[in-house]
Amino acid sequence: MDQIMVFQMMVSGAFMGLVYALVAYGFQLTYATGKSINFGQGELVMVSAFICLSLTNLGLPYGIMVLLGLLCGALLGLFVERSAVRLALEQKSEGWILLTIILGLLFFSVSENIWGRDDRPFPTPISSDAFQVFGISVTPVEISVAIGVFFIMGLIELFKRQTLLGKAFEAVSTDRDAAELMGISANRTVMLSYAISGVVAAMAGVLISPITTVGPTMASALVLKAFSVAVVAGLDSGFGVVAVGIFLGILESLTSYYIGSGWREVPGLTLLILALALRPTGIFGKAVIRKV
Amino acid sequence: MLIVKNLHAGYGTSEVLTGVSLAVKQGALVALIGPNGAGKTTTMRAISGLVKPARGEVFIDGRPVQGMDASRIARLGLAHSPEGRKVFGTLTVEDNLLLGAYSNLPKFFGFRKKSAKDLERVYDLFPLLKNRHLQSAGTLSGGEQQMLAIGRALMANPKVMLMDEPSMGLAPVIIEEVFTIIRRLKKEGITLLLVEQIAKRALEVADFAYVMERGHIVAEGTPAELHKNESVLEAYLGEVSSVV
Amino acid sequence: MLKRLVFVLGAELLVAVLLAVVPMAVDNSFMLGLLTLLAIYGILLIGLDITVGYLGQVNLAQAAFLGIGAYTAGIVVSRFGFTLIPALFAATAVGCLFGRLLAFPALRLEGPQFALSTLSFMALTTTVLNELEFLTKGAEGLQVPRPPIFGFMLETKGFYWLCLIFFILVWIAMKNLLTSQWGRAFEALRDSPIATDAMGIGAHRHKAIAFTIGSGLGSLAGGLYAFSMQFLQPQVFVYELMVILLLGVVLGGRKSLWGVFVGSTIIVLLPNLLSNLLLFEIFSGIGFLFALVAGIRGMVSRTTKPFQAAAPIIAMGLLVTLGLFTSNIEDWRKAIFALMLFAVMVGLPEGLMGFASRYLAKLFRIDPLPFPEQAEISDVLIRQETDGRPLLVLQDLKKYFGGVKAIDGITISVNSGEIHGLIGPNGSGKSTVVNVISGLYAPTSGEILFHGKILVKGSLLKVAQLGISRTFQNLQIFSELPVIDNVMVAMKSIYQTSLPFVLLGLGQKSIRRAQSESLAILDMVGLRDEARTIAKDLPYGAQRLLEIARALARRPDLLILDEPAAGLSQPDVKKLLKIIRKINELGITIILIEHHMEVVSEMCHIVTVLDYGKVIAQGKPDEIKRNPAVIEAYLGFASEPEKKGTISRDAIPELS
Repeated sequence: MDQIMVFQMMVSGAFMGLVYALVAYGFQLTYATGKSINFGQGELVMVSAFICLSLTNLGLPYGIMVLLGLLCGALLGLFVERSAVRLALEQKSEGWILLTIILGLLFFSVSENIWGRDDRPFPTPISSDAFQVFGISVTPVEISVAIGVFFIMGLIELFKRQTLLGKAFEAVSTDRDAAELMGISANRTVMLSYAISGVVAAMAGVLISPITTVGPTMASALVLKAFSVAVVAGLDSGFGVVAVGIFLGILESLTSYYIGSGWREVPGLTLLILALALRPTGIFGKAVIRKV
Repeated sequence: MLIVKNLHAGYGTSEVLTGVSLAVKQGALVALIGPNGAGKTTTMRAISGLVKPARGEVFIDGRPVQGMDASRIARLGLAHSPEGRKVFGTLTVEDNLLLGAYSNLPKFFGFRKKSAKDLERVYDLFPLLKNRHLQSAGTLSGGEQQMLAIGRALMANPKVMLMDEPSMGLAPVIIEEVFTIIRRLKKEGITLLLVEQIAKRALEVADFAYVMERGHIVAEGTPAELHKNESVLEAYLGEVSSVV
Repeated sequence: MLKRLVFVLGAELLVAVLLAVVPMAVDNSFMLGLLTLLAIYGILLIGLDITVGYLGQVNLAQAAFLGIGAYTAGIVVSRFGFTLIPALFAATAVGCLFGRLLAFPALRLEGPQFALSTLSFMALTTTVLNELEFLTKGAEGLQVPRPPIFGFMLETKGFYWLCLIFFILVWIAMKNLLTSQWGRAFEALRDSPIATDAMGIGAHRHKAIAFTIGSGLGSLAGGLYAFSMQFLQPQVFVYELMVILLLGVVLGGRKSLWGVFVGSTIIVLLPNLLSNLLLFEIFSGIGFLFALVAGIRGMVSRTTKPFQAAAPIIAMGLLVTLGLFTSNIEDWRKAIFALMLFAVMVGLPEGLMGFASRYLAKLFRIDPLPFPEQAEISDVLIRQETDGRPLLVLQDLKKYFGGVKAIDGITISVNSGEIHGLIGPNGSGKSTVVNVISGLYAPTSGEILFHGKILVKGSLLKVAQLGISRTFQNLQIFSELPVIDNVMVAMKSIYQTSLPFVLLGLGQKSIRRAQSESLAILDMVGLRDEARTIAKDLPYGAQRLLEIARALARRPDLLILDEPAAGLSQPDVKKLLKIIRKINELGITIILIEHHMEVVSEMCHIVTVLDYGKVIAQGKPDEIKRNPAVIEAYLGFASEPEKKGTISRDAIPELS
């Protein structure tokens, strides 16, 4: 019985871990092009989820709601890039760290005033009635998380590999100057990466909200774990985030099972600090050669 | 085709270029030579927009382009094969070439079809690249990367092409090959501004040449004229007497 | 001088006295509470400014250190019956301890990674404070009685004075610290960690100490906070507080004690500002007008980009609108902080004091402190005896990057007292040789002998401390520091005062000595008159000379000059050559990496030529120029045998 329970915890943890991986993937996208990340990414997830909730309450069908939600995510991403990132990158300063934190706080405050401070259920047409696989219960909602995560990541990877624009994306991250010489605007590529990162955040919101409910505080819990995943995997490592995400998800649910739910944040944070201390480029990342 | 007037540029507080003027006629091969640190590469970068000129004008096909982003200048018909080759190491050879034609191609689908002819032309010029078209560019040897960088610049069918130090870091045999290619490009009528450390090789192929020293042009003329010009020697050697 | 005394010290004294007498004039417990908080936040923000301002890193952990200090003080008082001073001592010690621990991972990190590690530390702290209920009573909160000090119970007024005394002491100690070698080292670290190591200063050590002091101050403030509030809850020390603290530092002005004071005043008053709609409207209106005027002025004079001008106006405009349409602005607290911080970050990155001090300095024409008398250069750089024996020997040195053989087995011997030229085409491995010797890279194999002993590998700092000094091809000056400080910070064997004494202000003598010796070195390279200029404002050629001056401050046995003439104009090159010769005459052995042939042949006693990571020739400059292998390396093919007893005309240009 106990063993099944443990497996059960691990499986649900793994599904959560996929969402962390998805948010972490959003960090990688922007890090690749502009070497910057949005510290307020969690707030993008939350705001997009709230917008989706409002859209659903307007009576829109699920599919359209999701599409509009993703669109909003893209717009929010663009907003973050324009207002908090571009100036700092132009000045080659690290001001974007503070500025994205500030924007996150702004989003947080605005949403708690518009949508209230309480957690709210998120409607979904997908059933949450569990079925059993080898004695472990899995819900269709959880399956939908997995499908959604792999679908969107696959789609973006396909875009990056198969379209010229996607290749341009890769070109900018390898050599910004050389890409400019090909007529690829690095600025626009950074913008695009923030837009896609926003879409990814919105998708994460849509996928996770049926499980966790929607509330202003969902952001901070999510974003720290996504940071852990991104840093442990390496900010430039592609699919490494999936493995690390699943690992962290499992670790976290085991921690809350054995030690207590208040401690569930601790493994991720410790992992993050350890990873930063031991291997700042991440497990899957490449070591950098210092140049002078 | 390319006209540069009184160009000033630099990095931070240092002004590397102090008034460079030069012109490249349609179909001509013009060489820019001079000792290391003279500002040749900076001139190239200032023309293509990687460095924003502090003063001066740059015209491509009669159109002023100074102060624009590099990507915009590239879309207006300037190709620049940069110093150190700068190929996209993680992408395949073919992807590198396709990106060379980025401004002329559809961004999502059908770009392969549209670029087929140009691709064929570049593969004709560099059969070696065709054999390796699926290999990632970072695994090529230095000489192959240089071919790729030139091929990539050709893909855009540029009005003017800048070529910066194509011989840098290459073995003697490979340098020979690179210059064979440059001769072929010249025969095809491509307008080319060539920066080269090895002055002798550059003067062998060029129609006209400028000599740079410490941020400005100190001599210009046909290769034959320059061979007679004392200031060329001086540009390289500083105080001649102390050396010879 | 007198003016300076009156204005600078006078202002400090005036404010201190004013703060001290306020409670006697107005007996108002609300007012006292605010003042106490001001002193506490002052200490906290001074600590935060060390990392945010001087180290230039985004530190998100200061709120956590406030919490750690507060809880430590609370627990030792309520559980173990500590009195006030020991409790504060315990709080500070625990803060320093955690600060030092966090410094371990944070040490190696820069920018976003540093911010992330401090962010996760903060989250961890909140979790632990919440969950360790047997110690902290978790979310229900901890009652902290105010303990006696030396047997006396402090009333509100007395406690305020205590906090004020602490604030003043911290202020004085920090002023001493930041004007000392330590403060310069902190700033050097921000501008170039690599050069900080290469100049023997020690990046890690200073970063760790800066961070530890900052954390300790945060926890000291925490202890005072605990006794002031007398009730603690974990949710106080979270994200929101952290943003407020950053607002204080950024708005007040980084790298400035006065900035911190202004910042603390503002964040203490903020809650009251928010509780009164009219007051809020007035202040946001003023802010809006300020942004509007500054934005329009910036646009007209074209000093700011449109975004930089417009964004603060929009942000402040939103604040004004918010005040018009909401009755309860308390609910929008976070948005208000965010908008304010945003406007300041974009529109006024130097902060209020940074902005004001420019005008104040002009207004009062305060002269900087005069320099001490310049030392004799012969006393600063004492002539070394040279014996012509090998000083530095490279034995079959190799360095591979993946498959690239940057250096592929080179053996070179540099003799004491000579100028040894190192030349070769681009990519031949010259810079890698320098980077391996100076310890930036560890070699793949091979040995380096210095003074006949095996040299440490892969540590810039240790190599520098052993007497090898270098310059950088891509300049690594401490760009925000004045020219003289660039040299002072690298000065070897001068600073003997230990940290506690520096805090007490006892390091003045060594500072003056460093100044007078630095002036002598600057005089030697011709930068004496630029001593007060901020390094980044120097022309390029002068920056190169400054790097040489800085390297000389190490009093090296061996000086490595990595392309010192690159980008210099002809007159500057001549000046440079004279300086190099003067240095060599002092008995300092020099390795000179150079492109310019005239420099090499004029300066070097012996030249080593590298190609493809291997030594292809070695000898006197004249021999080298006739060496067929060298000509081939540069030309790409062998030229005909020389005519007229000199090199062929074609061969010369390629030596570049």
